[in-house]
Amino acid sequence: MGILNLAKLLADYAPQAIKENEIKNYFGRKIALDASMCLYQFLIAVRSEGKQLTDANGETTSHLMGVFYRTIRLVENGIKPVYVFDGKPPDMKSGELNKRMEKREEAQKSLEKATEAGDEAEIEKFNRRLVKVTKHHAEEARQLLTLMGIPYIDAPCEAEAQCAAMVKAGKVYATATEDMDALTFGTNILLRHLTYSEARKMPVQEIHLDLVLNGLDVSRKEFIDLCILLGCDYTDSIKGIGGKRAIELLKKHRSIETILDNIDKSKYLPPEEWNYEGARKLFEDPEIMDPEKIELKWNDPDEDGLVKFLCGDKQFNEERIRNGAKKLMKARGTSTQGRLDGFFTVLSTNTPKRKVDDKKNTPNKKAKVGGGRGRGKPK
Amino acid sequence: MFEARLVASATLKKVLEAIKDLLTDASFDCSDVGIQLQAMDNSHVSLVSLILRSDGFDKYRCDRNLTMGMNLASLTKIIKCANNDDTVTIKAQDDADTVTFMFESKKHDKISDYEMKLMNLDQEHLGIPETAFSCKIKMPSVEFARICRDLSQFGDSVMISCTKEGVKFSAAGDIGSANIKLTQTTNFDKEEESVIIDMQEPVTLTFACQYLNSFTKATPLSVQVQLSMSANVPLVVEYQIPDLGHIRYYLAPKIEDDEN
Repeated sequence: MGILNLAKLLADYAPQAIKENEIKNYFGRKIALDASMCLYQFLIAVRSEGKQLTDANGETTSHLMGVFYRTIRLVENGIKPVYVFDGKPPDMKSGELNKRMEKREEAQKSLEKATEAGDEAEIEKFNRRLVKVTKHHAEEARQLLTLMGIPYIDAPCEAEAQCAAMVKAGKVYATATEDMDALTFGTNILLRHLTYSEARKMPVQEIHLDLVLNGLDVSRKEFIDLCILLGCDYTDSIKGIGGKRAIELLKKHRSIETILDNIDKSKYLPPEEWNYEGARKLFEDPEIMDPEKIELKWNDPDEDGLVKFLCGDKQFNEERIRNGAKKLMKARGTSTQGRLDGFFTVLSTNTPKRKVDDKKNTPNKKAKVGGGRGRGKPK
Repeated sequence: MFEARLVASATLKKVLEAIKDLLTDASFDCSDVGIQLQAMDNSHVSLVSLILRSDGFDKYRCDRNLTMGMNLASLTKIIKCANNDDTVTIKAQDDADTVTFMFESKKHDKISDYEMKLMNLDQEHLGIPETAFSCKIKMPSVEFARICRDLSQFGDSVMISCTKEGVKFSAAGDIGSANIKLTQTTNFDKEEESVIIDMQEPVTLTFACQYLNSFTKATPLSVQVQLSMSANVPLVVEYQIPDLGHIRYYLAPKIEDDEN
């Protein structure tokens, strides 16, 4: 899943790149959402008494519940979402996918054991591990989105790569996913926790790639190498090299090739037939649809269609669905609040210098509210 | 060394009231000119620009320019400790990470000292271009506050349209609609009670009530308010602080969605 420990590494080395914001501050923004990630989240999180929601035939409906209500929440906050679905996985991901399959089998075995033993907590735990987003789930989500008037895009390959391309082309403002590899694919702004439930009161985390590169003092090319060293979905990494050492090595040698020439291979054994070049190419030039050809259009929701789709066999409450459709409709009618950014020009940014070793200066907002920091650099 | 002394601490209280709705933290830039503050709210919809000129203080000394980042909730706590007729002195060392507020009672029999930790704040300085506005409206600040409060009951946004007949504020929502028209009045005896409209070209713009209502928190600072508008640029709402400076609010208009 994404890049191993990148979030933690950024918090330590480039805290200024991570900002926290309330969801309501994203009004008027077009945001590309990683659909598979969202569906997965919903299948895990939208539950009643530990079980997924199901319809009369025992088919899961958690994902539809999630897509419907969380999308409405985004729209009510003035956000214009566009969902991006994964296409076929890249060939290089097969290793990772096999690993996931093995883990799934393990979980299945543990689940059987737990069921035999009757251990409720364990059953639930392994049940969650077995959650998988199927083609059927994705297809239903697409139908639902069409009825809601929300656009979606079928990426030819990885959704994060497609999202990143759309951000770069200025089609959307940001990519929303939990996967950090959206940054590696070059999305300028990554939003995390956007589709979390409101009840969790989790602020949206905004990560800026330019500030990440600045904070780590690496180029975009070097950043990709760093992500490969940390561990990505497409190839193995060198055993024994974690976040701290990876960044030290990269800053010293500036590329995986020179690192390989300089490290003690008996201590740090690179994987056999390590295809880091392939992974690098995948990040730099992924298979995507030309973002210029994408036209995003938000339509009026089809209230009766929604009721027909969700309230028949799927047993959703008709009144709630109609209410939801009205909310979508209402949000479309209002004019958008403008921002000052477009009117005024930024003269200077005064970003206070933060020392990496200073514990107080990790991007912990609570510490900030307390006001216990040093004063800004006098001019 | 920085030191600024103000006889009326009430003014400071009012200034703080006028900004704390919009900002949670703020950086005060101190220089020979005075104390300045420029900051946008979190959503980047409005901007506060405040200046308290050095000559407006009873005593002002600033050896080196310095920026003081403060949490406004903490600052409010401290300022609340002052009586309205106390004299307030703000002090900071050149390289200190704290600021001291000293309140002296009128009879000089009580002196209180409050020290507050300063913060390191990320901030962007924005260049605000000089605009020749199509419409400038001067009116009693209390009247403006009243209009904003009344209209916000009807909808989320207020449409302000200025023509040669006068200025019209309107709002519409679920319960119905509301319209308030003001015409130019000149009251030579009491200039502050008159409505003066200086119009080059008619303008109609829509703004969010929520922000306008936050701006009107500055009403106690000044009897008059000036609104400046031009098509497609932010609204400027300005309150003069007598003998000390001014506070200006900029607000981005609402835009109709043309894509859908």
